[in-house]
Amino acid sequence: MSILPRLRLLPSHASTPFNILRAFTTTPPLPAKSLPPRPTLHDADLIEKFLHGSGPGGQKINKTSSAVQLKHIPTGIVVKYQDTRSRTVNRKMARKILQEKIEEMELGEGARTRIKQREVSGKKRSAEKKRRRKYRKLGEVEGEREREEGIEYGGGELDGINEVEGAKEVESVGDGAKKEGEK
Amino acid sequence: MPRIGNSLLRKAHALDPFLPALLAPCRDIHAAQNELRWLRQHVDRVAKARRARGDTLAKGSLLRQLVSERASGKPLQYILGTEYFGDLEIRCRSGVLIPRQDTAASVTNLVRLLRDAQKLPPELRLLDLCTGTGCVPLLFRHELYTARDDVDLHILGVDVSPKALKLAHYNMQRAHRSMPRGKMRLIRADVVLNPFADQDGDALPLKVALNHSGLPPFWDILVSNPPYISPSNYWTTTTRSVRGYEPKLALVPPSIASQSDTEQGDLFYPRLLEIARDVEAKIVLLEVADLDQAQRVAQRAHNLSIFDGIEIWRERPDINTQAPAGVDNVSIIGEGNARSVLCWRGAGAAWLGKATASAGRDDALRLFRSYGHLPHGDASQAGTSPMEPQFDWPTTPPSEQDLPMAFHNARIARRSRDRFRERLSRRGTGLWTDHPYPEDYYFIRTSFGLQKRRRKP
Repeated sequence: MSILPRLRLLPSHASTPFNILRAFTTTPPLPAKSLPPRPTLHDADLIEKFLHGSGPGGQKINKTSSAVQLKHIPTGIVVKYQDTRSRTVNRKMARKILQEKIEEMELGEGARTRIKQREVSGKKRSAEKKRRRKYRKLGEVEGEREREEGIEYGGGELDGINEVEGAKEVESVGDGAKKEGEK
Repeated sequence: MPRIGNSLLRKAHALDPFLPALLAPCRDIHAAQNELRWLRQHVDRVAKARRARGDTLAKGSLLRQLVSERASGKPLQYILGTEYFGDLEIRCRSGVLIPRQDTAASVTNLVRLLRDAQKLPPELRLLDLCTGTGCVPLLFRHELYTARDDVDLHILGVDVSPKALKLAHYNMQRAHRSMPRGKMRLIRADVVLNPFADQDGDALPLKVALNHSGLPPFWDILVSNPPYISPSNYWTTTTRSVRGYEPKLALVPPSIASQSDTEQGDLFYPRLLEIARDVEAKIVLLEVADLDQAQRVAQRAHNLSIFDGIEIWRERPDINTQAPAGVDNVSIIGEGNARSVLCWRGAGAAWLGKATASAGRDDALRLFRSYGHLPHGDASQAGTSPMEPQFDWPTTPPSEQDLPMAFHNARIARRSRDRFRERLSRRGTGLWTDHPYPEDYYFIRTSFGLQKRRRKP
């Protein structure tokens, strides 16, 4: 094990030890298709506001809201973010969202959010297709088996019924027969 | 406070049955939704931790209990146990003031100025008075260390409340674990206590406490977020959750007889500025309530005439909208309410990147004069060696009646002066003898003659 080189195959943000993947080969994996670079934000173009009520601050009130509102002057886009309790995180997230919005405005379908969205929906679609194919196949096999079982079952107990298609119908017929028998 | 309308309550209830209760402290549906989400996340975390211990927890009942606590006005930070202060997550406990975002903005701005300094001393000493949770020095440390490698920071937090010290200790340990650099200490001392008054409380005055703990008497930077709300403002301007749940000790200065409301609100500042002079702080940052108080503090600092420059910072000092310098060249920087007062002297000007600095000798002389040892005027006339340590000798001859006691006291003072000089001469070698302070003994007249007393609580 120690002879094999260990490779970290994850992007740098996932650095927890639980997420380390180890490759069997030393060939590096092909990089994903590179996304367009993020547009840079200049501080001079931004108006940042920390939203809290007017009035005295400091020790006199304890605020829980650390909402951040960003306005991009050239495009006029306004972003507000207040999901976390940390103002620093809110500021970072607001900037990220603002970048994405500007990019969408500039590049349209070529923007990284749209590319990622397409990737995700494509994957979802193919997974769905795969799932459907699998269940169709399974259904066919099951159907055949059950048809055979059903015929046997029907042939054994219920003489009058010749064509039984699914297990459900067999059961319901069986129940009905039982109830009738109880009565 | 206006009632919350029925339509809003109904709307909130449609979104989540817990929301109407949270509308009382939040007043706003988005804020209430945020708080409810944070409470849910907290309950999930607690439940996960309990499960990891092999215990179980009824999530629904815990959430219901927390929501009802919050609805009665208890601060969310006390319920969740933490508050974000800049990049740091600071632990909060009831009985200790919750860190405020505005304080973080001032501290961050101070470090932003400091980290571009050409030459900082290799060992930078930071004294934080009224430290509370310890948030101010911890953020200072975090911000400075992420920007610079060449500085070693020594931090001393001072507080009068044992609860606060315990919590600050916890926070400091946590910070040290994540970034093991520099030194951090905490001591218990009373900032406003007059060192010469008879003491009956259990906290020592700051100077004595520093001496007893063997800590250095000189500090480069002094920061403080003292109690600054006057009693009348406490009842009119603070919110109910602050009044009902946060410690009054951290908000309102102690009352002293024959003192006006404003004077009581400003009680800490003269004492803090005196301490800044005694520890020879080069940069002083004091938090204040509003512009009026900021200007009063700036005036006091100006009257002390040891500082090269004074600035008033608003809530967002990083925005560079400098108002024209008002009275005594005090400029007001930033946007929002006035939040802190910054003073600097000597080398502090260079550290902050300020233009106004005086020569080292002038600065030292001014500092020396402010103790009242030297007459204000030309330094050359003031004596042959004005920089020598001087002691308060009785300049007028004592009266007949006081002669024996004054004689004894003078003898004690002379002896302690010699010891003090000896200590000064040893300072360079790092040998510090631990002996009582010069002022620690005094004599009283009793029925059986003179009695020597130690001035200690």
